[in-house]
Amino acid sequence: MDSAAEQRSDHALMLAVRDGELDALGELFERHHAPLFGFLAKFTGDRAAAEDIAQTVFQRMLKYRHTYRDDGRFTAWMYHLARRCAADHFRRAHAAPHATDPADLQDHADDTPHAAQHASKRDDHALLHTALARLDRDDREVLLLARFQELSFAEIAGILECSVGAAKVRAHRALRELRDIYFKLQKEPLS
Amino acid sequence: MNCTSARATFPALLDHRTTATEHLEARTHLASCPDCQREFAELSRTLTALDTMPAPTPSPRLRQNFYAMLEEEKNSAASVRVAAERDRRVRRISLWGWVLSPLAAAALVALGFHVGQRQAPPAAAPAPSSEVAAMRNELKELRQLVGISILQQQRGPVSSRLQEVLAAAKSDQPTEKTLTDLVNALAFDPSVNVRLRALEALFPHAENKLVSDGVLTALPREQDPLVLVELIDFLAASGNRDAAPELEKMTQNEAIDRSVRDAARRALAQL
Repeated sequence: MDSAAEQRSDHALMLAVRDGELDALGELFERHHAPLFGFLAKFTGDRAAAEDIAQTVFQRMLKYRHTYRDDGRFTAWMYHLARRCAADHFRRAHAAPHATDPADLQDHADDTPHAAQHASKRDDHALLHTALARLDRDDREVLLLARFQELSFAEIAGILECSVGAAKVRAHRALRELRDIYFKLQKEPLS
Repeated sequence: MNCTSARATFPALLDHRTTATEHLEARTHLASCPDCQREFAELSRTLTALDTMPAPTPSPRLRQNFYAMLEEEKNSAASVRVAAERDRRVRRISLWGWVLSPLAAAALVALGFHVGQRQAPPAAAPAPSSEVAAMRNELKELRQLVGISILQQQRGPVSSRLQEVLAAAKSDQPTEKTLTDLVNALAFDPSVNVRLRALEALFPHAENKLVSDGVLTALPREQDPLVLVELIDFLAASGNRDAAPELEKMTQNEAIDRSVRDAARRALAQL
C-alpha cells in the first residue's frame, strides 16, 4: 500500500473509482471487507452466504460506481448496497437464517491453557448467536448497524429509508427484544 | 422525571458516543430507582455480550475472488474504451472513404487512360505471360479488398455483425464461404469483440490452409493488444511455424504492448 493511497479518505477513493481509477477499489476492499463480512455473517448466520454477499457488494460498487454522489459517505453507501444484496439473498433462500452454526462454534473454540475460564464466555457467545438468529430480521439488521459499523443514526436512517427518530426507536426496541431472548435462553436448562 | 421518560433516554445513555454531561436528569433518576437500574443493567449486559462477540473473519477466497473480479472489470473497461475509440475512428475514415474513393478511382482511370494514349507504342510488344498473370493476381486482390471495404461500410451495427459471426461459428462443417467471411471479419471488422469471436470460431478449423493463412495475414495488421494476444495463442496452439519470423519481430518491438511481447515469446518457445 503506498502512502498516497493511505492518506486518501474513503470518499476520495470512491470518487476516484467513479472516475475510472478502478485500482482504488482495492484499497477500499482492504479497509472495509472484514467489518462488512462480520456484519453479514451475523446478519445472515451463514458464513458462506456472507462471503458471497460481500463479493456481490463489491461487484455492485463497480457496476454502479457512476451513481456514487459527490456528497455521499462511502460506508453508508456500502451498507445500503449490502442491505439490498442481503435482501436478494433472503428472497432466494426463501427461509429465515438458521440458528447457531456448529462450524462457527468450532471456529471459536479456545484451546489455550485458560480454556476452562473462558468456557462460560464461549457459552455466552453461543447463546447470543442463537438469540440474534431468533431476532426478527429487521431488528437484527438495525441492531448490528447501530452497534458495530460506526454509523450515525442519521446514516442508519438513510440506509433504512426512515426518519432518524424511527431508526433510534427501532434500534432500542431491537435491543430490548434481544435482551429478552438472551436472558430467556440463559434460564433454559441445557439439553 | 418518571420511569417512562428516563427509560426513553436509555438508548442514548448506552451509546458510547454520548458524553457524561448529557441527560443529567435521567442519570439522577436512574441512581435512585431500582427498577430502572435493573432494566438498565440487563440492557447494558446484553450490549456488552454483543460487543465482545468474536468478529468472524472471511476466508482467503473472498480476497482472491475480489481481485479476480476487479481485474476482469479493468480488462473489460479497457477493451470497451479501445473498441469505442476504434469505432469512432473507423466511422470518420469511412465517411471520408465514401467521399474520396469514387473521386480517386475516377482520377486514376482518367490518368491511366491519358498516359496510355500518350506513351504506348502503336503496336506494343505483348507483355510476358508471367507479368500478366502477376498483374491479374494483384488486380484480383485489389478487387477483393475494395469489395470487403465496401462491405464493411455497408454493414449494420456491431450486434448484428456479432450475430453473423456467432451463427457462422455454430456450423460444424462450414463452407469455404463461411470460413472466408470469418477470416474477413477477423482482418477487417472494426469491432474488437467481433474480431475476437471470429478468431474463436476459426479455431476448430485451424488446420485449414485458408484459415491458417488468414490468421497469419491478420497478425501484422492487428493493433489491439487483446486480439493480438489471442492471435498469437491461436498460432502457437495450431503449431503454425510460418508465424515465427513475425513473432520474432514482435518480441523485439518495444512499441508493442508488453503482454503481447510476452505472448510472442511464449509462442516462439512453443513453436
